[in-house]
Amino acid sequence: MKDRISIVVMVDAVGALSDRTLHNGNLSLVDDSSGSKHQGTPDLITTVIPGQVVQWTPIHIDVQTPVEIYSIEFLPGAPAAPPAGPSPAAPPPVDAMGSNGTENHDLLVWEGVVPYDMTPGVPYRYRLSLKLHEGPNSVLHVDSPALMRV
Amino acid sequence: MAQQHGIIVLFDVENALRTRSLAGNTYWFDNMKLFGSTGEGTEHLVTIVPGTHFMDGSQATEQVLNWLPAALGAIPPTVPRNYLAEQERADDRRTLDQLASLNADGGVSDTDLKRLQKRVGKRARKPAGGRGLTAAKLLDVTGKTTSSAGAYNYPAPVITDITGPAVTEKIMYPAQYGSPDMIYDGWYWAATVDTSRPGEYPYTMHVQLHELIEQNDEMIWESVDLTCESTLKITTDPKRNGFTGAGLGLLPLPAVPATG
Amino acid sequence: MPPKTKQPERRPSRPVTITAVIDPVAALASENLDDSLYLYDTNKAAGSTGFGTPELHSRVTKGDTLLWNVIPLECETYAAITDIEIDPRVAEPTRKVYPGTDIVFWTAEVKQDLTEPLRYRISFLLGTVTTPFTPTARPALAGPADQAREGR
Repeated sequence: MKDRISIVVMVDAVGALSDRTLHNGNLSLVDDSSGSKHQGTPDLITTVIPGQVVQWTPIHIDVQTPVEIYSIEFLPGAPAAPPAGPSPAAPPPVDAMGSNGTENHDLLVWEGVVPYDMTPGVPYRYRLSLKLHEGPNSVLHVDSPALMRV
Repeated sequence: MAQQHGIIVLFDVENALRTRSLAGNTYWFDNMKLFGSTGEGTEHLVTIVPGTHFMDGSQATEQVLNWLPAALGAIPPTVPRNYLAEQERADDRRTLDQLASLNADGGVSDTDLKRLQKRVGKRARKPAGGRGLTAAKLLDVTGKTTSSAGAYNYPAPVITDITGPAVTEKIMYPAQYGSPDMIYDGWYWAATVDTSRPGEYPYTMHVQLHELIEQNDEMIWESVDLTCESTLKITTDPKRNGFTGAGLGLLPLPAVPATG
Repeated sequence: MPPKTKQPERRPSRPVTITAVIDPVAALASENLDDSLYLYDTNKAAGSTGFGTPELHSRVTKGDTLLWNVIPLECETYAAITDIEIDPRVAEPTRKVYPGTDIVFWTAEVKQDLTEPLRYRISFLLGTVTTPFTPTARPALAGPADQAREGR
């Protein structure tokens, strides 16, 4: 078993900003886990084992264009009970402020340990939000990738 | 991973040659305005270099600077540098073709000859010891052959060195590199930055401009060496986990995952 | 040998070039060209003003050839002038490409001297977006410097 699974987030920033979507071939997700499905697409399902560390790393196709991971949120299913209180799956976003007073999402390391109570064989989809430069059109997301315990 | 920093320096070559100074004749840009660079588009650019370090103090991301000089009022750098040579060759081929067809016609008119003479153009000689420019036919700013010393396209400024406190204090390590990238003629200056010591560090860029001089009925490229200054502002911040805001933790999975 | 002062005679044969430096990625992300556009020209010595802003005032004289081109901050990103709207009695810009390339520039001849600054609209295509980007701020052509008019 590998200790660590790496998911590479490759973005054509100019394509994504022009099309205003991470689809149309503007986003490619690749991992180094064996048995993962839909490699190279936004629909990547990464196979994981409890105890492994999963790390997401953004890579830009245009080397001079900033591409940052803005957030990763696992999407909860329909609650069995009436919703009460904040969803445990949507913690407050982590502060990305740099010491010079400007936001820098490059400060954030997107990695976490696969918990032992994860249900096997079920894809846990997540919303991957990326920040491309800054401004009202700069944050784009997909809800299609997932982690799945084998 | 941080992106590479491109620092574009636009030179008002005509004014710089006239005043023999770069003061007021450079405009600086980088792609880091969103991270706090200031003075974009002026000669007082302060380039932010937002370093990051891990909890143990080691540098987390490698910050790379690239310098890209361009001449105002010249063919823009998006046109590949080998373009000038290509245009020159294409032009010579057309001229030869037309010369051949002139012979076939038997008669040669004055206007035909004048047109062809214009197309042959003028060549500028490279002075002994000069660098960067080859003896080539003159082209104007739209890529057409010219015989006028007043219309030639300014060659791109050539960076010859980068010095100053940012270098002597070992904040950055600049060097000239070769590259297969035709946009910048295969040569460019780049540096890696030590972001462990925050602060502002000025540096000096040494630049060579080229002026076309008519001397004894011959055109010669004369090199003119000038300098200009800019500043790096180094910051460094600790990396933190995007899920926890602190160290490594469990992935925040929901009790029940979304279906579909 | 005395230093040559050739520059004044050189001027007529080189166009007045107006260069738009654009940060296309910033403009796409913010949907705002005004903060990502820096205009310059080669006529600072003649009194052009507003360098580095979208409100460049270029000093021009009747008979000058004007040339507009673009330098994108990211050289891999497409950025081109798609239109220049100006009073046709003063100039009629036409689109051209550098021979043998698809890289666009625009050129025009100044048909008359201006007494008041004449604002114009310049629009750009960026990335793969088909709708042109136009800054709200307007650049202008301005007549010969004051001392030139007084001299008449």
